[in-house]
Amino acid sequence: MSLSQRHLALILIAPGLMLVAALFLYPLCFSLISAFSGPDGSFTLQWFAKAFELYSTDIVFTVVIVLASCALTALAAIVIAGTLTLGENPYIVGTLKALYRWPLFIPFIVAAQCMRTFLAKNGLMNNTFVSLGLMEPLQAVSFLDWRGIIATFVWKQTPFVALLLAGALASIDRATLEAGRNLGASRMRVLIELALPQVMPTLLVALVLSFVTMLSVLSVPMMVSGSQPTMLTVDMAFRINAYGDYATANALGVITYLISAGAAILYLKRGMSQEAPR
Amino acid sequence: MPTDLPNGPRSGASIAVRDLHVAYGGTRVLHGVSIDFTPGSFTALLGSSGCGKTTLLRSLSGFVPVQSGSIVVGGQDVASLPPEKRGMAMVFQSYALWPHMTVLQNIGYGLKLRGVSRAEIATKVSAMLAMLGLSGYEDRKVTALSGGQRQRVALGRALAIDPGILLLDEPLSNLDAKIRMVMRHEIRAIQQRLGLTAVHVTHDREEAMTMADRLVIMQAGTIAQVGTPEEVYDRPATAFVANFMGAENVLPLRVARSEAGASFSTGDATALVSSEAAQALPAGEAVAYFRDDVARLDAADAVAGGDLLVPGRIAARAYPGGVYRYRVEAAGRQITVDDADRHELGTTIGLRIPLQRLHIFPASEAGIAA
Repeated sequence: MSLSQRHLALILIAPGLMLVAALFLYPLCFSLISAFSGPDGSFTLQWFAKAFELYSTDIVFTVVIVLASCALTALAAIVIAGTLTLGENPYIVGTLKALYRWPLFIPFIVAAQCMRTFLAKNGLMNNTFVSLGLMEPLQAVSFLDWRGIIATFVWKQTPFVALLLAGALASIDRATLEAGRNLGASRMRVLIELALPQVMPTLLVALVLSFVTMLSVLSVPMMVSGSQPTMLTVDMAFRINAYGDYATANALGVITYLISAGAAILYLKRGMSQEAPR
Repeated sequence: MPTDLPNGPRSGASIAVRDLHVAYGGTRVLHGVSIDFTPGSFTALLGSSGCGKTTLLRSLSGFVPVQSGSIVVGGQDVASLPPEKRGMAMVFQSYALWPHMTVLQNIGYGLKLRGVSRAEIATKVSAMLAMLGLSGYEDRKVTALSGGQRQRVALGRALAIDPGILLLDEPLSNLDAKIRMVMRHEIRAIQQRLGLTAVHVTHDREEAMTMADRLVIMQAGTIAQVGTPEEVYDRPATAFVANFMGAENVLPLRVARSEAGASFSTGDATALVSSEAAQALPAGEAVAYFRDDVARLDAADAVAGGDLLVPGRIAARAYPGGVYRYRVEAAGRQITVDDADRHELGTTIGLRIPLQRLHIFPASEAGIAA
């Protein structure tokens, strides 16, 4: 490739590169630097000390919430994708196929609002139970705490994971599933022992993406559970809005990066151990 | 060598299929198929694409729901049972090995499902691998095997559970020609040694003839003929079977019965047969089918003798090796004939066909194939 062509190539990708630099790299570097800079511009870890002092419970809370949501999302997605692939009742499969993708098109903030009206003490769910005579009005409790956050995350992310998983399941050789049933495996065993291992990489990718998405959502913890403990995104918004404390907020941001990097490393490690010859 | 593997002939199970109807969506695929598979027999289901042979196999194995009819295995009707309850082992066209498992895990899976201990599984799998000529391959990943080795593993996986019935769904069609020949003999030998009832689906005529002791020719969702390879090849029951078994040359005939026997005529040629042989012939308009290799080229004015001598003209010639293959225009038809001698194009010749090698059917019946 001659020099002029190289220049041409650079010019062609320049707008995209500049956009990434201006909207992503610059803010990232800025927040990283500010997380480690004291008021006088020198290197310091004081913002991290402050973040851990004030929010260590929330860090653990965030990780637990997101991990629990991922686990439940995986379970729900496996049930849905498994039913779509191995289900034999055409009515159940057809209904599920038509319905399961809907939450994909609903924004987190709308989902959170729906959950508020559904899970509140006098919400739709409790009112339904009361009107069905399943419980007394006095027994009604609000689910608008960690349970509400998990419920919203799982409801919102399950279709995404199920979509990728069902696609992957549909593309494996169907005869490999039939071979299992032919040898005497029930549909459940076929799903768990024969189908899922073949689509594990897809499931992991979908879960890592969901993990990172859930980690970064502000609206859901803010709306569903206003009280303590809460998730790091709420803490960051609070530091900035209430105190104009960008430094601590940036330190919390770096901690969030590290958590999502942890998920990415776990995924990459697994991928590499599978590639390696045994 | 471990002795767990059953070496002596075991009794395969019998299958009785009665009036089986199967449809996909609204399309009817099998129209009342009835057939028996005796214990220890090797049956090939043969037919062109879409004839229902794979559907019949898949309804035996339980992957296709049956509309009506029964499939009785060892006295029990299994037509309504799910595939996992039928105890038939199947070998798939795509091998269908599980890529995330080793050879040992693939072959041992059926045993694991039956609660066999790990040690016993290892022993049985190693004996199975020895029988298949794959000793020491236990810990290989199946993705690292060649096509022939994969098919052996697939066969081993099916045989490991000691099935009474072995279903083979075009198991050799993904293999190259040389390995296919070897596997034909191996599968046949193992089937005979274990005394299994085998049902083999194929569209390869030669494969069916060499492996099976009984052929079932299927046509449009029904059984056209059942018989030994010799019966089906030499005495096809219908025009379709004759055509499918390779008698692709077609001659229109007129059969006229007389006191002395019968006479056929096609174009300008006429031949006479005795009254004994004429019994089996249809009268009136008929169609004769014959193979490329039964006719010979002779001089146009040769003496017919007992044969049918049809005048014709050589239209094309090819040399596929050993003999010349000619396309001859005779009686208004294009006939393919193999002959050892070289003749020039355009030559007028006499097409000599021995009468006993003609498969003759009434013209009304031959409508489809002719």
